[in-house]
Amino acid sequence: MGAHISIPMYQRAVAQRYRLVGQKCTKCGKINFPPKAVCKYCQAGNEFENVSLSGKGKIYSKTVIAGGGAPPEFAEEAKCKGSYPVAIVELDEGPRIIAQLVNPPEEGYSIGMPVEAVFRKIYEEEGVIRYGFKFRMAAQSV
Amino acid sequence: MNKSVISYGVYLPYLRIKRDEYISALGSCSAAYKEKAVMDIDEDTITMAVEAARDAVSGIDAAQIGALSLASANFPYSEKVMAGTVIEALGLNNNILTCQHGNSTLAGTEAFLSAMGMLDQTDQKYALVVVSDAPAAAAAVDLEHGFGAGACAFVLAKDEPGLEIEGVYARAGEAMGLRYRLPGETGVRDIGVKTYASQVYNETIKGAVLGLLRKMQLDPNDYSHLVLHQNDAKTAAALAKKMGFSEEQLNQGQLFSLVGDTGACSALLGLCNVLDNARSGARIIICSYGSGAGSQAISFKLSGACKNTRPVKSLLESKKYISYIYYLKLKRCI
Repeated sequence: MGAHISIPMYQRAVAQRYRLVGQKCTKCGKINFPPKAVCKYCQAGNEFENVSLSGKGKIYSKTVIAGGGAPPEFAEEAKCKGSYPVAIVELDEGPRIIAQLVNPPEEGYSIGMPVEAVFRKIYEEEGVIRYGFKFRMAAQSV
Repeated sequence: MNKSVISYGVYLPYLRIKRDEYISALGSCSAAYKEKAVMDIDEDTITMAVEAARDAVSGIDAAQIGALSLASANFPYSEKVMAGTVIEALGLNNNILTCQHGNSTLAGTEAFLSAMGMLDQTDQKYALVVVSDAPAAAAAVDLEHGFGAGACAFVLAKDEPGLEIEGVYARAGEAMGLRYRLPGETGVRDIGVKTYASQVYNETIKGAVLGLLRKMQLDPNDYSHLVLHQNDAKTAAALAKKMGFSEEQLNQGQLFSLVGDTGACSALLGLCNVLDNARSGARIIICSYGSGAGSQAISFKLSGACKNTRPVKSLLESKKYISYIYYLKLKRCI
């Protein structure tokens, strides 16, 4: 079962999905990503300042989606590649987000390795391309 | 007003296919390259455009960008303001001037020239040009063998030192049956007469380059580098020689053998590689080509710093080879 995200819902999140805009709580100073109505850290602040996150972080946890485990929106990619890696990335600014990894090194990769965000097609539904972030190993960019 | 390129960025997909893969799968390969760049299944010309543009604008105050000029002969949508996607991805001002150029591989330099014009209309200091392309044709079409992918972006500034734009000259005229695509089709066609294609390519580019030299009252010796649009490497090299340029002047701008035919990017990607190594004071001439047919030649002089964070050489070295079968899967042919 996939979690269908309607076009209006996706549209509202364009800033966070396209360029990682998070919210800095004016009360505790922690960064919420994705944005929340009330700060998830101090559970008191409800005023925020928008901040663009750097897209740099490290692998906090990782897994591989294989053997028909992909939700329907990712089925085409899974069919092409057989399997694809997914990680929880801890961003330099603090938040942890789930995303796919692109071009995982053949020699393997491990928790703690530096990664950086790349702009990719996440999936396509109703003929509409859903763009967003994936991550690549930071070393690949040098 | 003096206009210069002050920074640029390049993106090449991580995946490559070697010419040998084509030969072992099909028995031959119609294009003479060593390897070519291939987009992953989650890439398109817009994702490549965003990556190249991000590099070009790093270190520049995005709030001072007043115009965005976007080009590709292969946008993911036939109708949609794709500049909007790029604006959001880069966090640019929503009120900037935008334009999109497509329909032929001439789109790259067209976008460049449009950005120069838009720069006159904005109060801001900078204009961003983003060119991204990945030509496509059916797997059974010979032309397809050469088709690669890539993107590059340039920040143009008013009255700042950098890669100064000295002059432009163009040529366009009717040439039927060469690399065309009908509405609704995803791949290009061609009548497949190579001598005719080369003849039009030669005449069109020559008309623009020699015209520009005449206009500027300069000759080939005044230039350190010449970069030509490359459908294939040999035709471009032979034409450069005919126009009085040496191999040395042409070498650094020739990327066809490592990335394939990058369509609207071709000459501009070559320019990026030249800029990675060019010395101050160097004059560079570039010339685009679009079948049908047209060419635009631009003369530059490197009179100040022109920055790039990721050299083309490092992008050419960062790669993974794929098989022809996997290539067909990525192209959704199987």
